[in-house]
Amino acid sequence: MKRRRFVQSIPLLYASPALFAQAIAKIDSVATDAVGKSVPHFFTASQMAALRRLSNILVPTSADTPGALDAGAPEFLDFLIGQSPQPVRTLYRSGLDALNAGAAAKYGRAFAALDSTQADMLLSPLREAWTWREPTDPFALFLRHAKADVLTATTNSREWAAAAKRSGNGTYWLPPE
Amino acid sequence: MAAPTYDVLIIGSGASGGMTAHTLTARGIKCLMLDAGPPIDYDHDRVSRRVYDLPYRGFGQPGRFPHVTQADEFNANVWADEKQNPYTYDPADPYYWVRVRRIGGKTLVWGRASWRMSDYEFKAKDHDGFGDNWPISYSDLAPYYDKCEPLFHVSGRKEGLPQLPDGLFIDDTSVDSESLTRFIGAAKQRGIPTTKPRRATGALASSLNLLLPDAMATGNLTVVPNAVVRRLIVDKKTGLIDGVDYVDRHSREEFHATARVIVVGASCLESTRLLLNSGIANSSGVLGHYLFDQFYVKGTVQAIVPEARDGKGAPGLMGGSGYIPRFRNVDSKSKDFIRGYAVDFGSGGTPNAKYFPLYGEALRKALVSHRGTGFDATTMGTVLPRFENRVSIDSAVTDAWGIPALHIQARYTDNEFNMARDAMNTLDELCHAAGFEVLEKHDQMVPPGESIHELGTCRMGDNPKTSVLNKWNQSHDIKNLFVVDGSSFVAGGSQNPTLTILALAMRASDYMAEQMRAGAL
Repeated sequence: MKRRRFVQSIPLLYASPALFAQAIAKIDSVATDAVGKSVPHFFTASQMAALRRLSNILVPTSADTPGALDAGAPEFLDFLIGQSPQPVRTLYRSGLDALNAGAAAKYGRAFAALDSTQADMLLSPLREAWTWREPTDPFALFLRHAKADVLTATTNSREWAAAAKRSGNGTYWLPPE
Repeated sequence: MAAPTYDVLIIGSGASGGMTAHTLTARGIKCLMLDAGPPIDYDHDRVSRRVYDLPYRGFGQPGRFPHVTQADEFNANVWADEKQNPYTYDPADPYYWVRVRRIGGKTLVWGRASWRMSDYEFKAKDHDGFGDNWPISYSDLAPYYDKCEPLFHVSGRKEGLPQLPDGLFIDDTSVDSESLTRFIGAAKQRGIPTTKPRRATGALASSLNLLLPDAMATGNLTVVPNAVVRRLIVDKKTGLIDGVDYVDRHSREEFHATARVIVVGASCLESTRLLLNSGIANSSGVLGHYLFDQFYVKGTVQAIVPEARDGKGAPGLMGGSGYIPRFRNVDSKSKDFIRGYAVDFGSGGTPNAKYFPLYGEALRKALVSHRGTGFDATTMGTVLPRFENRVSIDSAVTDAWGIPALHIQARYTDNEFNMARDAMNTLDELCHAAGFEVLEKHDQMVPPGESIHELGTCRMGDNPKTSVLNKWNQSHDIKNLFVVDGSSFVAGGSQNPTLTILALAMRASDYMAEQMRAGAL
């Protein structure tokens, strides 16, 4: 295009919003977590191994639905808990350490290396009736939070939505201005 | 440039501010409305998003709203920012102050429950001797309820209950499911009344679409968003409010606006904070005192309907919702508490995973088995207005615009605790009588404030020595100052307060218009 012709076209574009809008193609995009794997950085390696094992026990893969590991729930929780207020971070770190310490004391190995029967022994607080009053035992409190968080992180994942053929849509309020 | 002049300056655009503008502009009165929040384009400021595309998978940004349990990642941008708008309390007595700063206020997100109060609340002292009566009775407010219900398209069913007056409803003729019928029958056997929910209907039931557009259409309303009011200014010569100082939310530039009459409808505690920061309207010394709300026991009972397990429930077994109005201390007296509580109940949901002491495959199977089998009930109880429950200015803390923050001091007492226990036991009994299996029952209240039904602190009364406002929501001290929101309540009930706030604002505005026409304002 010659320069004069280009300059002449500018008023036309601005004078015709419809034409201007048609000239710009909509660029489809995806979220950051759609193309890469989350890189854990908050929990230690042993804590992360325990969280992965715990997550797989809490929400295993079924014939119809992905499990917590398929949904990347442990890695997401590493990110989420790492950003959370100090009491939540302490609850999780202490809870995961307690899982490993309990496994070492009872079976001489890390929680991640326990079989299902052995792991179940350590998760007995989750088999007690739920009440509105939170447990005073920090380990029981950790397990209560972990059960809810792993389940939500899994069912709110794109993997779960795809398997369940659900859109996962909600009405999102944009930030003001 | 000369500033335009207005008849009435209204602070706040929610239920009370919106109703004031709606009423006054229809009578040809020029109104200026200042709101601290931004405008909203309801169709364009809300978009469809997938939960997994949100940065925090629906959990929301950790720590952003420590006191707003209603906040999730979808609606997070509705709520007032807690860092920009701080407040304080004694850590031993936490208070959850939930705010919305946008045009339309909390009516953008309210639960729409629309109940009338009765003389069991307006004249509560006559029934049990506690506290004070309102300076008005139900008959004073009834004509305004009659006008508010059609405006908000309230649906419901008439029952003829003295403690829950009927109104001008869109008649709810829906048939109750079998599970609800069993529960309602169990209640009836014990003399406990029930009714259908009474709710504002429509895609949106807000000041934003039901009040402000009509007011704008008159040509008599000017709305100014992003105007954070700092203080009201009194003219020392006349003793009247001369105008208000406000600051632009973005630029922080300071302004002053004037009007003949000032109406404060900034929401209960924001209105009182504004008066306290202005150092006005408090010759009685009770401004800030008598804070109360309604206590909530969320999920007082979570039960299941056994026959609905594994999808085996017959058609019509599950679904629907209802309401138990206050029934204690109406025809008889309870020995453990005065006044009473109400209950919202519903059938057909799936109990949350937390109720099952299971995990893994066993939990998955339990959730599938119990899909749609749930019955749950939430208690909403009357909180007594007490002098010692109060708000004051914490001058050591300021908001993002340098305005001193509130310190909130509130705690529940045995009257509320005993009421909650009674509700738990009663609902447990009703569920068992209906043949439900109760998974969990409890009487643990949410912290004061969380119900978002904060009331009082700028109460009305006939005696200027014991109240801030007269029976027309007009300051005893400053006759061109009106406070029209929930802060004016003397006592509350178990009914959600918004419909009463709307009716009070309409009534005060009618009076205001008449006084202005007569030249008395």
